[in-house]
Amino acid sequence: MTTTLTQTAAAISMRDIHRTYGRGSAEVRAVDGVDIDFPRGSWTAVMGPSGSGKSTLLHIAAGLEHADSGRVFLGDSDITSSSDRQLTALRRSRIGFVFQSFNLVGSLTAEQNVSLPLRLAGRRPSRADVKAALSSVGLADRGRHRPRELSGGQQQRVAIARALVTGPEVLFADEPTGALDTTSAHSVLDLLRATVDAGQTIVMVTHDPAAAARADSTVFLRDGRVVDHLAGASAGALAARLVQLEA
Amino acid sequence: MFRLSWNGFRERWSLFIGAIVTVCLGVALVQSSLVLLLAAVTGDAPRGSSAIEIMTFDESTTVAITVLSMTLALSAFLAVFVISSTFAFTVAQRQRDLALLRLVGGSRSQVRRLLTGEAVLLGLTGTVIGIPLGVALTSFQERLLARLDLSPSGFDPATPVWVFGASVGVGVGLALAGVLMAARRAARVQPLAALRSTGAARRSMTAGRWFVGIVALAGAGALVLLSPKGGASGGQAMAPCASICGAIALAMLAPVLVSPIAALLLLPFRGVLGRLASANVRDSVRRNASTAAPLIVLVGLVVGQASALSSFASSAKDELRAGTSADLVLESTRPLTLDVSQVQGVRSASTEIDVPIALTLGSGEDRTTESGRLLVVDPTAYAVAHPRAGSLDKLQSQTVAAGPGALGMSPGDTVSVRIGDQRLGKLPVVAKATQTIGGGAALLAPAGLVPTSVLAEAHSRTFVSLEAGADRAKVSAALADHGSVMSIERWLDDSSSEDTKTSTNILLVILGLGAAYALIGVVNAVAIGAAARAHEFACARATGLTRAHVVRTALLESVSVTAAAVMLGLVAASTSWVAVMTTTAEVTGTGALSLPWDIIAGLVGVVVALTTVTSVITSRNATRQAPVALLAARE
Ligand SMILES: Nc1ncnc2c1ncn2[C@@H]1O[C@H](COP(=O)(O)OP(=O)(O)O)[C@@H](O)[C@H]1O
Ligand SMILES: [Mg+2]
Repeated sequence: MTTTLTQTAAAISMRDIHRTYGRGSAEVRAVDGVDIDFPRGSWTAVMGPSGSGKSTLLHIAAGLEHADSGRVFLGDSDITSSSDRQLTALRRSRIGFVFQSFNLVGSLTAEQNVSLPLRLAGRRPSRADVKAALSSVGLADRGRHRPRELSGGQQQRVAIARALVTGPEVLFADEPTGALDTTSAHSVLDLLRATVDAGQTIVMVTHDPAAAARADSTVFLRDGRVVDHLAGASAGALAARLVQLEA
Repeated sequence: MFRLSWNGFRERWSLFIGAIVTVCLGVALVQSSLVLLLAAVTGDAPRGSSAIEIMTFDESTTVAITVLSMTLALSAFLAVFVISSTFAFTVAQRQRDLALLRLVGGSRSQVRRLLTGEAVLLGLTGTVIGIPLGVALTSFQERLLARLDLSPSGFDPATPVWVFGASVGVGVGLALAGVLMAARRAARVQPLAALRSTGAARRSMTAGRWFVGIVALAGAGALVLLSPKGGASGGQAMAPCASICGAIALAMLAPVLVSPIAALLLLPFRGVLGRLASANVRDSVRRNASTAAPLIVLVGLVVGQASALSSFASSAKDELRAGTSADLVLESTRPLTLDVSQVQGVRSASTEIDVPIALTLGSGEDRTTESGRLLVVDPTAYAVAHPRAGSLDKLQSQTVAAGPGALGMSPGDTVSVRIGDQRLGKLPVVAKATQTIGGGAALLAPAGLVPTSVLAEAHSRTFVSLEAGADRAKVSAALADHGSVMSIERWLDDSSSEDTKTSTNILLVILGLGAAYALIGVVNAVAIGAAARAHEFACARATGLTRAHVVRTALLESVSVTAAAVMLGLVAASTSWVAVMTTTAEVTGTGALSLPWDIIAGLVGVVVALTTVTSVITSRNATRQAPVALLAARE
């Protein structure tokens, strides 16, 4: 496909994406012909049964994994066949990640974790910048703590601060509340909502209808294909749709 | 970047302690061997020594230099090998951390720089501890050499200050060399690897490993084929090297060999723990290879060298027995004032005066000088006492013959001989005695060539054949005033046990410390491997295994991997066995293989005991915390 995108409203555009794992009888079509646009300044949730290809789709969208075929655009730039160097540069400035298992560097304090992407990009963040990033996630007083001295919810908020500190165009989140209790999950979702309201684009994979209900719209996947797209649905409606798909 | 290195270092010190220990011991071993080698190379005989004394000093200096350069070479080889495999393993264990760094925007070159920075830190730390340890090791090695009679008298090594600088270079250099390959590989890690909990890389065989492994394997094969064609000295040099090449080859190919063999060994264990251990062994290719590689090298090296030495020694003994025709031997430390062949009852006697010399071969660029021995002989009597030596009829005044231990010399050549400050000038080589496995004199010379002033101090040995029906006791009594007389059997036993002792001593010095070092490498790998499995162990316990079950499974794995490695080490050593058999068969007519069972059994015992103890201690340590605590604390 050589479609030139004129529509600049999309933060991420994916065209006819295919990704297959394994061969022969072990072949799995993780993503099977997905066309999708994730609009700028909006929070899109991706739901679907376990194994429906949500994570794979997210990884391809974020340039962490190559698709077998199809094209991926980040804003105006085609990242389908970007080199490792170009992808590294993307991760430093235009893309941020949050994962279920926090993935903080255990040997570094919260402050050091947050400033890590800037340092890797060769920038010297001021103390104030790092402090600001931490206080925006409500952890101004936990800067000197190491990850293991923080609760799960706090660790995830540090991870969000780290992902946002570079001012990325898109924040990718894979089950960000998957490992959290309801209260912690709530505060993380509140935090994400606040960043979207301030203009951030978020693409979030989740299993949790309550989490998806906080997003602006929800895409449903099954067997690697987009099967539905709901906007402004309630948690109950989302849950019902998911149960239907899982049946 | 440096700060990240430093932080990683503080956090992961238990993982790094192994790397520091290997660098530290490597530096100590290399420094100590270097200091002793320098002392041996620059040493001079005490002032006012006689010609023979100077030559004797030079000769034992040559032995010391040979032993020490081999020790240095082996130390350097083991240091590079053990350090690089430890570093590679340390890096592999952190694949997830490194992927995480890539995920938050780290570039490949940053990952490389991080690891290089760490290596410098580890290298410096290891060096700082290694230098004083090296000084202590020098005095230990010096005493060992003196005790085993392998150093010249008055050997007094001093450590020049620049050696410490060199040690810093060695330590940091070894650490950097060790991490270079690992860092290149690690930098290629995909950021996604950070998200997979099973972080360890599946693919452990690299193109480089295949290449080095196959080249070394070809080298071992070539050495096995060439040894019998190398003659007595060439064959003896090549046969032990076959097992070195073999060990390197199998260590490189360890990722494809060790796991399947270990799993095979676990087949008889059909219980649930046995099956679990077998599954783990098949799954952890990388960890098994890291544990096995130093073991393969250790067993291959020690068993290969020791077998070659003991086989050649026993072959030499048989050869000497078959090649000597005499009834009595008279050893004397004074010039003989008696013509032994004229004694009543003696049929013939070959008196051989042993003179240490410096021998120069070739001319111009190709000139080489080495120390060796010259025997002053009566050519006819010599041929009678040593019937296999061949004819020395051409040996007349002002000529020499190549002796049974000559190197690269044949009739037609010209050699220069020096004894202390006395030069005997250029001498034509007119004959060549048959080469022997046991070696011996480099030159045979007729009487009248060596000045009497030199002969006055030389030792002599006379091989005496009796007439049929002569009275052995009477002849012995007649000779007793001129030195010590013994039966030929006694002399054969004495001289071969003396040879065996010397070669065992040399082996001890060259391999002893190296072996200890390689063992530490093994312990290291087992410890690092178990420490990194805390999470896996916790999962197993959460599934219903007791702590004892986990420890026992880990032990089964560790013992099966050790056994597989020992087997591969013995396979490597067996290349030397073949080379020794064919070489001795070619040179002496009878293939000889005498395996040093005490060394093999002792080594295998130590290796198994050590890996068992390490495995139990580390897996107990890794399971000390309640599984819940470990499973919850996932960063
Ligand atoms: N690295 C991989 N190798 C093989 N199969 C994979 C890999 N990653 C994912 N899969 C398969 O692809 C399918 C989709 O996986 P994933 O995207 O992780 O699903 P989800 O996140 O929706 O649960 C699954 O069947 C999974 O088993
Ligand atoms: Mg998933």
